[in-house]
Amino acid sequence: MSDATLPGGASAPATGGSAVDVFERHRAELQASKRVMNIFVLLVFLVALALSVWVSDFLPERLAEGIPRIFEYFATIVPDLQGDVLFEGRGDDGRAVPGSLTFWYADFWTYVELIWETILMAITATLLGTAVAYALSFPAAQNLAPARWIYWISRRFLEFCRGVPEILLALLFVFMIGIGPLAGILAIAIHSAGALGKLFAEVNENASSRPIEGITAVGGTWFEKMAYAVTPQVLPNFFSYALLRFEINVRASSIIGFVGAGGIGQELNRVISFYSDDRVLAVLILVVLMVTVIDLISERIRLGYIGRENFK
Amino acid sequence: MSIATISAVTEEQIAQVRAANPRAFNTVWDQVKRWGWLFAAVVYLIWSMWFFEFGKLIEASDRAWALLRAFVVWEDMAEWQYRNIYIGIAQTLAMAFLGTLLGTLGSLIIGFCAARNVNPFGWLRQIVRRFLDILRGIDQLVWGLVFVRAVGLGPLAGVLAIFVSDLGTLSKLYSEAIENVDQKQVEGVKATGAGPLAVIRYGYIPQVLPVFISQSLYFWESNTRSATILGIVGAGGIGMIIIERFRASLYDQVAFVVLNILVIIFFIDWLSKRIRLWAIGEQRD
Amino acid sequence: MLKLEQLTRRFGENTAVSSATLEIPDGQMVGIIGRSGAGKSTLLRLLNRLIDPSDGKIVFGDTDIAQLKGRELRQWRSDCAMIFQQFNLVGRLDVVTNVLTGRLCDMPAWRSLTQIFTPRERAFAIQALDRLGMAHTALQRAETLSGGQQQRVAIARALAQEPKILLADEPIASLDPMNAKIVMDALRDINKQDGITVICNLHTLDTARNYCDRIIGMQDGRIVFDGTPAQLTNQMAREIYGAEADEAFNEAATSTSIPTSDSPAVDTAKAIA
Repeated sequence: MSDATLPGGASAPATGGSAVDVFERHRAELQASKRVMNIFVLLVFLVALALSVWVSDFLPERLAEGIPRIFEYFATIVPDLQGDVLFEGRGDDGRAVPGSLTFWYADFWTYVELIWETILMAITATLLGTAVAYALSFPAAQNLAPARWIYWISRRFLEFCRGVPEILLALLFVFMIGIGPLAGILAIAIHSAGALGKLFAEVNENASSRPIEGITAVGGTWFEKMAYAVTPQVLPNFFSYALLRFEINVRASSIIGFVGAGGIGQELNRVISFYSDDRVLAVLILVVLMVTVIDLISERIRLGYIGRENFK
Repeated sequence: MSIATISAVTEEQIAQVRAANPRAFNTVWDQVKRWGWLFAAVVYLIWSMWFFEFGKLIEASDRAWALLRAFVVWEDMAEWQYRNIYIGIAQTLAMAFLGTLLGTLGSLIIGFCAARNVNPFGWLRQIVRRFLDILRGIDQLVWGLVFVRAVGLGPLAGVLAIFVSDLGTLSKLYSEAIENVDQKQVEGVKATGAGPLAVIRYGYIPQVLPVFISQSLYFWESNTRSATILGIVGAGGIGMIIIERFRASLYDQVAFVVLNILVIIFFIDWLSKRIRLWAIGEQRD
Repeated sequence: MLKLEQLTRRFGENTAVSSATLEIPDGQMVGIIGRSGAGKSTLLRLLNRLIDPSDGKIVFGDTDIAQLKGRELRQWRSDCAMIFQQFNLVGRLDVVTNVLTGRLCDMPAWRSLTQIFTPRERAFAIQALDRLGMAHTALQRAETLSGGQQQRVAIARALAQEPKILLADEPIASLDPMNAKIVMDALRDINKQDGITVICNLHTLDTARNYCDRIIGMQDGRIVFDGTPAQLTNQMAREIYGAEADEAFNEAATSTSIPTSDSPAVDTAKAIA
């Protein structure tokens, strides 16, 4: 804190040196006035830390015991590939040679099918969620809502959809309609509707009021105002938000299978829980690959669309 | 020209105007271009409803009602083992707190290693960044599952899962903040002949600290949310209680726990807003 | 015949329009003049019910416009077209669609919400555009046009409504003198040839004198002058405009500047003295 560690501070260039000087002096003043508060917060922090360590068993002996096991575990998920048989196909009896890629990825086509299902789940959920969010974004925008109570209800509904974690919703849906991707789709769609609805409503609140006044003045109904005056203004923003949400939903649908709600997560859960250790890495590689590729494509579309919009 | 009314427009005039401005009249192709994407989306949705068997929704109605009823009608409240519930909630809070704290500390180091303007070794930076990409590419819940396998059921796995996934995201955000600092102040410190550590302490930290605090608080908030569900894969906290009571068909208790969680999440949101205000004077929404 | 009876609008403590009583026969071209903040804009917005009156009546034919609701209110807004200072077009829609929005009130909902317009409606919209000399821009986005062009598109939209009355709220305040003349000529042309009543807020006195059959002066929400351009003496005009008199008398200066950034309000008494 003291300037002792800054030898020759006076010879510093005027701009940089004085900026730092002023910054530090200002900070010192501020801190003097806040010292008591600082000590209090530090105490609270230390108590919270101690309690957290105690409650979550984050104790040295458990760590000493647990951390080596983490590395052991990571060693077991690395497949035992052997260079000489790496590219061997299946033998005449239909069995793969241990140590070959074919053996490691014996269930490759199952994984591909599940990844395909995962992507479809994300698309369906995003479309459903976007549709609901679009419809609710107008009543949930303060400047557009036809009545105060409609605004209030739409906002609370969206908050509820956003507030409950997806995986919890998925758990409930799995109970109601059984194991399978439908439960996952519904859970993700509801969560997306809430998250997107809030964002869409904020975009709507920033829309220019002039076209809306214009459509009011020609005798347009509330729906016509939304369709002609608001929608053209906000559509590009909605589109990029929906695409971003799609990226998030791909991730979500890849893990929602942990509770039995379909997609690659179900397989991931199975291979992790049933000690098929080398398969864990096989599935994880595919999941990370899928997420990366989808992100790249979606980014391309987003940039392409925004670029096109700007040059029109 | 006399008073122009739409009913006075004759067919000839329409034909005339159309000939003069053919593009202003929608052709079938224009309609296809306008509504095609919507039509495709609807067709896809109908197909996916068949593919994902949306029909099951109709059959599910009695179970849905039973569940809803159990959520509302609470029975035998005296025997609910509240102690376990609140230990679970305490674990959740502790997991989020410790995980975020460790993640922040780790990200402080890794963030500087991944920043272009601090770390002069390109190859090291690339390695660090790819490593962070991997950490980020795998979901927190997957980390939870992996750590449960590695260190067993309980909150320790949850802390580690939060720590690792925060490391991936926070380090990236931190390194971006570091890359965006005002170089003039850094040069000022360098010009004094300060060593590399002193440059970081006096050139970078004062500029990036507010961003760091704000980001970490935000992560603490969102980790409290995600810590509630980490227990679903066995990584400690209230999620374990939820899944345990859910499996035991004690739905009224599940509803009670979820309500508690919502209250706590709202409280943490409020608290984090206050702390942010106190620490850096930033007003967010 | 449009009749206002004791029409009043209050915003909290302020009275924007206070007991306005007027009779405007069909087919007249009326200019409303006054300082910024005199209540001209509020009066016009009251007329087509963009703002609800606090008190008083607006009578057109046999109906009290102030009491209309729902479908009838929208029908009235459609009959009583409005042109705005800032044009209020939908910038991201093409010009012809903007004009077609003038037909919304007479279209069934399923057609308006799916944006399906009949060839007749399209032809009518293009004819309206053509009348303003804007048919060549029909497929451009409205936001790519200049201010003067946008205002002409807005007039075409108003024509597409087949209005009985045309309200214009400072239609030329954001335009340069040449475009201002084109727009005012178009309004007079519509008034003379179609016999549509035009009620126009104007900031500049010369424009009002040149184009209008009748001038109404407003000050602090009250109507303080009502007569022909010839009856409006310079002394009277100075009183109406107060501190903004010099500016208002010099059309070239004000038509090119935007009145929203006008000179700050000055004490009326001081200005008259």
